[in-house]
Amino acid sequence: MSRFNRSGVAGAAILAVAALVAVIAPLVISADELDVTRVTAAPWQSPGAEFWLGTDHTGRSVALLVAQGAGTSLFVGLTAAVLAVGIGTLVGIVSGHFGGLVAGALLRVTDFFLVLPALVLAIALSTVLPRGLGTIVLAIGLTSWPSTARMVRAQTLTIEARPFVERARALGGGHVHVIGRHVLPSVVPLVLVNATLAVATAIVAESTLAFLGLGDPTRISWGAMLHQAQLHGAVPQRAWWFLLPPGVAIVVVVLAFTLVGRALEAVVTPKR
Amino acid sequence: MILKVAIVQQIDSMNPFLAVFQSSTEVGRLMYDYLTAYAADDQRVTEGLANRWEPSADKLTWTFTVPEGKTWSDGQPITAHDVAFTYNLMLTNEVARTANGSFVTNFSSVTAPDDRTVVIKTKAPQVTMLALDIPIVPEHVWEKVTNIKDYANDQMPVVGSGPFVLTEHVAGQFIKLKANKNYWRGAPKYDELHFVYFQNSDAAVQALTKGEVDLVNRMAPAQFDSLKDKAGVTRNKAQGRRFVELLINPGARTRTGEPIGDGNPALGDVRVRRAIAQAIDLDALVQRVNLGYAEKGAGLVPPVFGKWHWEPGEKELRTFDPAAANAALDAAGYPRKADGTRFSLRLTGRAGRAYDEQASEYLKRQLGDIGIPLDVRLVSDNQLNEATTVATYDLAFSGWATNVDPDFILGLHTCAQRPGADGKGGTTDAYFCDQAYDELYARQLSEFDEGKRVELVKQMQARFYDQVPAVVLAYENALEAYRSDHFARFTTQPAQGGVIMAQNGMWGYYGAEPAARASASGTTWVGFAVAGGVIVFIVVAIMRQTRRRRATAGERE
Repeated sequence: MSRFNRSGVAGAAILAVAALVAVIAPLVISADELDVTRVTAAPWQSPGAEFWLGTDHTGRSVALLVAQGAGTSLFVGLTAAVLAVGIGTLVGIVSGHFGGLVAGALLRVTDFFLVLPALVLAIALSTVLPRGLGTIVLAIGLTSWPSTARMVRAQTLTIEARPFVERARALGGGHVHVIGRHVLPSVVPLVLVNATLAVATAIVAESTLAFLGLGDPTRISWGAMLHQAQLHGAVPQRAWWFLLPPGVAIVVVVLAFTLVGRALEAVVTPKR
Repeated sequence: MILKVAIVQQIDSMNPFLAVFQSSTEVGRLMYDYLTAYAADDQRVTEGLANRWEPSADKLTWTFTVPEGKTWSDGQPITAHDVAFTYNLMLTNEVARTANGSFVTNFSSVTAPDDRTVVIKTKAPQVTMLALDIPIVPEHVWEKVTNIKDYANDQMPVVGSGPFVLTEHVAGQFIKLKANKNYWRGAPKYDELHFVYFQNSDAAVQALTKGEVDLVNRMAPAQFDSLKDKAGVTRNKAQGRRFVELLINPGARTRTGEPIGDGNPALGDVRVRRAIAQAIDLDALVQRVNLGYAEKGAGLVPPVFGKWHWEPGEKELRTFDPAAANAALDAAGYPRKADGTRFSLRLTGRAGRAYDEQASEYLKRQLGDIGIPLDVRLVSDNQLNEATTVATYDLAFSGWATNVDPDFILGLHTCAQRPGADGKGGTTDAYFCDQAYDELYARQLSEFDEGKRVELVKQMQARFYDQVPAVVLAYENALEAYRSDHFARFTTQPAQGGVIMAQNGMWGYYGAEPAARASASGTTWVGFAVAGGVIVFIVVAIMRQTRRRRATAGERE
């Protein structure tokens, strides 16, 4: 228990640092340093005193790119997770509470999205919709809500089977009252834990899509950096400094979200 | 000795009547000669299967002579009947016209009065009569083929007339060809030619550095740079046949004059298009995006085709000048609004293509400087194709490979190439339609005096440059590399700054000369053997000496 908390605190600390970097980077880094048309440094410089993590194919500092990319990756991860968990919670509670035909219909839709390979669907969506951050958020959000929906539905069913809900109903509580006052408060902890873990998967999904070249081409993100490294020949150049930093950044942040999520899970579970 | 060549593009068909992919026609050129060929050093028309040709006075009848002494790889003589058979097959069978049909549409008849003479009659004078890129097939093999469409041409070894004979083909893995010892120009200097498939060019470059393949082309600038000081690898930076361009939607219309697409109406004004072209720093694009492996763009024909290439003169040249572009836009009636912009444009390119992803950043900056913010849309291949064919673009990246004869690339920009009323048909590149340009096109098509035709072709390019339906950004270099420790030299086309692969011919493969590796390693082996023998001899001699001494010492005792 305490070990879990300790790793949870470590995860939270990492996230705090990442968030700080994401907020500060755009304020500190001047636009010229990340503009390929304005940089003057030589391309493909290996790490050194001037450029801690070397330069990319156009002469931009990889360290600055990683710092700048933190914002995009975190933003997409968070919003996509909120979207996914929001849809999932809504579908889960509604289907759990109302049951019958509504539940049947909603569950079939859930099943449909569950069996569809999420990455393929996300690729299809981001190919058809216009390029941009919104599309990526939408693509990830629309493909990763079914598991949340299932979990929330199960939780809703167990809550609604309890005597206090039955009492509330007997006293004349309507749907809104039951859902708002009884179901939702009991589901929220679970949803929070789920959201934290969902952010981790959403960041990985964003990086995957960007790596495949389906991201917003005008924005710097960690996945987009990997995409450019691959596209412009970092491998034959042996430019490990262009490939490793964004990759490591993804791993660290995803790990941090997972640690925090697990710790929250451990905190939330025994109370029930 | 085997020459191993890395290829990335798949083969669509080994049947020369159906093959359209560049990789397939490249193998086809090795298997079959054409009626005429393009010389390696300067691409002039030279002997193919025919060694003499004569047009009639009215340019409607052409007589080709197929000399004696050339044979198919199975020993049968090559005659005029084979040529007539091939062309007539294309004239009578629609399927046989799939790949090269455009060359024969103007033919009225092809006959072979005797074994040596081919007579071709055309409906109208045709300037491309000595540039008929049609593989000639052996009649005694192909007369038995009843269904061209399903004929895979895989009866190994495939009977052909070229310097190599196809012996084995496993789709997606390799293609093996043997040297044709009876080739009329003389046998190649090595025994076998293998094409080996690779998933991507990164893998092909790795294989080259490891010595698994001997020749790689179509490298990215970064890959080319990475091979700079590699021992045993020689790089070949060649003038390419390709150019990249930026389309500017000039107000697209169909052949019947109906507007099509949703291009920004401001681009219909030629002054605006000129200002945009003037605001683009072509030198910066060549230096930073092509890493210097390209030449600054101007006319539609790349400089590799020297005599057809057009460079703007002092008067016509548009130098990079944002201030002048700003002034021109002000004068044209597009003043800056309160926020400093005039109007915004979409820039459509292909996601995942290195050039588009990088060049779009530069264009965004440079056009932003003249008050035109760009909305960069990098999309999939299909979406880009769709946008350019139905004209739903303002600015878009495009590019073409050109042929020895400029007719094709010039023809793309005639009014007739625009789509019909239903939005289909036509292969227009930039929705260009200009009366002056079309008149010049028609004149060059029937101009048999080459000097005059060159002049017309240059005038067309000047007109195109002046009207700017597209800005030619750069002529990309063809980047190739080969194992110089395996093969000493390759024949390039043209001789100066030419390519080894993707030629208008098969000279690169045919002229490859193996390095003197075998004899060199032989001498070192002999050297080691001699040195080893000497050492053994000395050791034995010393041992015998000491033993004798010992023996004598013992005897002395």
